[in-house]
Amino acid sequence: MNFLFGNLTHFGALVFFALVISVTFAFLSKRGMAERAQYTLWAFLAFLLVAIGIGWLMYPFSQ
Amino acid sequence: MDETVIKEESAKGNQMMGIVAAVAGWIVPGLGHLLLRRWSKAAIYFLCVGSLALAGLAMRGGVFGASADDLFDRLGFFADLGAGIFYFLAHQLQAAGPDIAHATGDYGTRLFAAAGMLNFLTVLEAYDIGRGREPR
Repeated sequence: MNFLFGNLTHFGALVFFALVISVTFAFLSKRGMAERAQYTLWAFLAFLLVAIGIGWLMYPFSQ
Repeated sequence: MDETVIKEESAKGNQMMGIVAAVAGWIVPGLGHLLLRRWSKAAIYFLCVGSLALAGLAMRGGVFGASADDLFDRLGFFADLGAGIFYFLAHQLQAAGPDIAHATGDYGTRLFAAAGMLNFLTVLEAYDIGRGREPR
């Protein structure tokens, strides 16, 4: 596991986290594989979009 | 036997099954669902919670101990405890120990806590299924 996650960037950790959480939430809340796949994709993209959006909003304060 | 008594006995049995599934699911993520014959959910929950927890440990994230002083540490302990066997084996799995001085270690701390909280959600679902209240 160390070679996979030892040097993970912040964005890499975010993508991994978003994927795992999306899959789990899909199995918790949806029935049927098609519905779960759709929910996973939707939640994964929403995680990324919101995180990148918040990153852009916070950027001016980092200067 | 009276019908009401039968219903009560049945409900008790279901409640016991719910508790057994919840405890099993807490100790080993997905085991509660495995006992309830929800094969795909058991596999997915084990993989997801396990990979999050192992990633957190591989990134040398910190694991909160029971002797937490402040509220934040106590919340962290509660979250970490949710990971079940991964929490109890954390020190064996993370031979190099935590390194939260670096950003990667800090992300690892969050990933491990997320694994614990995620497992608590699956435990609640296992309890519900065990009681005969299959989530929609």
